[in-house]
Amino acid sequence: MDMKKKDIILCVTFALLLAGGLVLCLFLPKSSYSDSERRMLSPMPELSAENVWSGRFMSDFEGHAADAFPFRESFRRLKAMTALKVFARQDNNGIYVSEGFLASMEYPMNEDSLVRAAGRFRYICEKYLTDENKVYLSVIPDKNCFLARESGHPSMDYGVFEKRMEELADFAEYIPVSDLLERGDYYRTDTHWRQERITDVAQRLLQAMGAAASQDYEIHTLDRDFYGVYHGQAALPLAADSLQYVTGDAILGCQVHDWQNNRRIPVYDMEKAAGRDPYEMFLSGSLSLITMENPGAGTDKKLVLFRDSFGSSIAPLLICGYSQITLADIRYIQPDLLSRFIDFQNCDVLFLYSTLVLNHSDTLR
Amino acid sequence: MLFSSISFLYYFLPLMLVLYFLAPKRGKNAVLLLASLIFYGWGEPKYVLLMGLSILLGYGFGLFVEKYRERKAGKVICGISAGISLSFLLCFKYADFFIGNFNAVTGLGLPLWRLALPIGISFYTFQIISYTVDVYRGQAAQRNLIHLAAYVAMFPQLIAGPIVRYCDIAEQLTKRKHSFHGAALGIRRFVIGLGKKILIANQLGELCAVFRASQEKSVLFYWLYAVSFALHIYFDFSGYSDMAVGLGRMFGFQFPENFNYPYISASITEFWRRWHISLGTWFRDYVYIPLGGNRRGRGRQLVNILIVWMLTGFWHGAAWNFILWGLIFAFLLTVEKLWLLTLLEKSRFLSHAYTLFFVMISFVIFNGESLEQAFSDLAGLAGAGGIPLVSAEALYCLRSFAVVLVAGVIGAAPAVRSLAGKIAQKPAGGRLLNLLEPVVLAGLLLVMTAYLVDGSFNPFLYFRF
Repeated sequence: MDMKKKDIILCVTFALLLAGGLVLCLFLPKSSYSDSERRMLSPMPELSAENVWSGRFMSDFEGHAADAFPFRESFRRLKAMTALKVFARQDNNGIYVSEGFLASMEYPMNEDSLVRAAGRFRYICEKYLTDENKVYLSVIPDKNCFLARESGHPSMDYGVFEKRMEELADFAEYIPVSDLLERGDYYRTDTHWRQERITDVAQRLLQAMGAAASQDYEIHTLDRDFYGVYHGQAALPLAADSLQYVTGDAILGCQVHDWQNNRRIPVYDMEKAAGRDPYEMFLSGSLSLITMENPGAGTDKKLVLFRDSFGSSIAPLLICGYSQITLADIRYIQPDLLSRFIDFQNCDVLFLYSTLVLNHSDTLR
Repeated sequence: MLFSSISFLYYFLPLMLVLYFLAPKRGKNAVLLLASLIFYGWGEPKYVLLMGLSILLGYGFGLFVEKYRERKAGKVICGISAGISLSFLLCFKYADFFIGNFNAVTGLGLPLWRLALPIGISFYTFQIISYTVDVYRGQAAQRNLIHLAAYVAMFPQLIAGPIVRYCDIAEQLTKRKHSFHGAALGIRRFVIGLGKKILIANQLGELCAVFRASQEKSVLFYWLYAVSFALHIYFDFSGYSDMAVGLGRMFGFQFPENFNYPYISASITEFWRRWHISLGTWFRDYVYIPLGGNRRGRGRQLVNILIVWMLTGFWHGAAWNFILWGLIFAFLLTVEKLWLLTLLEKSRFLSHAYTLFFVMISFVIFNGESLEQAFSDLAGLAGAGGIPLVSAEALYCLRSFAVVLVAGVIGAAPAVRSLAGKIAQKPAGGRLLNLLEPVVLAGLLLVMTAYLVDGSFNPFLYFRF
């Protein structure tokens, strides 16, 4: 090919790419939600004189243009593959792959955040509890704890993390569980642990709190693929997880009340299982206040579980030891409002939080 | 608006190109001006008025200077014009620096003005000054306001250079040719510049940000940061200049080159002939030579060098670390002029090592948030403060960014261009390159689009100047 032809071809190719991009940007239907990233996409900003003069229209349009770009998912995948395969980057947007597991680099340890979290827990204890309440704390390490060492990715010193949390929460008895966990106890594409793999953790917690434990569970597998939150963030072509859940007598007889929406909900919400985030099937996902009643319990012991999303999947495994478990998520409810719904008298109290929340505790109210 | 944004690439540019090439020859500068105002107003709607005022003043003073340039009044008018242009720069860029230092010295508490810095003010102010001075020196004043406004506000080079002097493109404003060859050269240059920015500079910028946020500093990490930032600023700024030159070429303009592989320099003198060339030549022609240059003896020449480099540093930012940065170059250039250059000629390797070392150190100072941080970074490079030699995070970054760093080092030298030149000289090689070029450039554009779709907002470093 001679130079003249090449110049013409280059100009035409460039023009077609830009013009094609413009036409598709303008006329292709746009989604308002990204399933893979689990977030609302930036809408087209309102065109008004005030918005333009203040510069808000333009800055919002930048976000909209990137979010509404045609074939966005394919482009995100192309970027991820280029970063990891061409530039040999060890992570893409802070997410890395190790031994088929996706994990987020969670580091460094944020001392201020730990102090704040402990402060919030202390506030609850001082406001509501008496010497008769037994208070416990347990820290769930994130998946990075088990992957980073082998893969060479930076990570926190989880031993130091737990020790520091234990020191800060000196009002609670610490129950270690990290020795019971390994990477296979977590979903490959999600942040969370697998319910069917944490019965030993539940048993440790129940025993430490002096409650009866059960080992008699039946495992069920959800009839759909589960792509966890890291899958969408990483934008890599990885296989789906299978999501399993367990049942037993106590779980099957359990009655659950959602105080946030004042309604009965199932332990395993099959509508949520068919939704955008199947992990939300465990106690219907992010709810501020739930009560689980166990009518068949051979005890009148009650537990108040302060928890994050990891708590949704372990709570059904704890119900065998209690007549009632109240799950409070103080990311979504002010602790000052708890007395309207919870009677703390003679309750055990367990603060069960993942390192992911403790290290970013500004979400705790 | 950023060149490296979806809104520019897939909205502004295609629309602009269609309108520009559909417009009749007489109307092309008007289209260019209108597009440039939208481009500028996209980021700074309020400051379009300031730029418009600067252009109007430059236009009026240009006509006056031309009329009176044979008389003493011409020099006075030219001085007033430059003074007014500089006063805008002083108000918006330097006022708080002077007030803050005045307060610090006197103990007074004069309130700071806290004016937002209009993007590109340093660049277009220098272009307007160059215009009136060029007219004073004999260049014909531009009588068509649209032509002059199109020159000052031309979006490819408006906000981060290169500083295009009026005399360089006066003729092109009215007589320029458009061709497939010119457009193809422009496209190639633009895509390569975009690649330098998105694929290299942004990733190295990420590494610098990780370093800055790290609580695990080590000597290795400091050096990794210093090398990365030196490459980052080169690829960021030269990438922008490539895009500007490329866009100019698409519209029929030939802008001056701004970079010529500065990191292969064997002295600081050579480095500044290759780095931000348009700024260096601007200071040479509009400050150094008017001050007397080297025509008034060695002593005066050294004073002139000191003044020019202090101003060069100050031009980059209203902070002491920029002034120190300029003064370091003044010192090094002086030492080279006095005796070091002859010594450097004896060893090519040592001269390269010396140049790279001091350039890298200078950029560490340049990138400090303050003088304290700059000195702290320099101390870190020397291993002061009991920091460890190596940290896990530094090793991770070294591994994770190794390919980008190697690509940066290779790309900062002319090896690839030389190789392509050699291949192109052979008939088969030339045909192969012609065949591959559109495919590779289209592929690059798609990959960079992918980075933009996935990525966050990454403004160019030189926007803050």
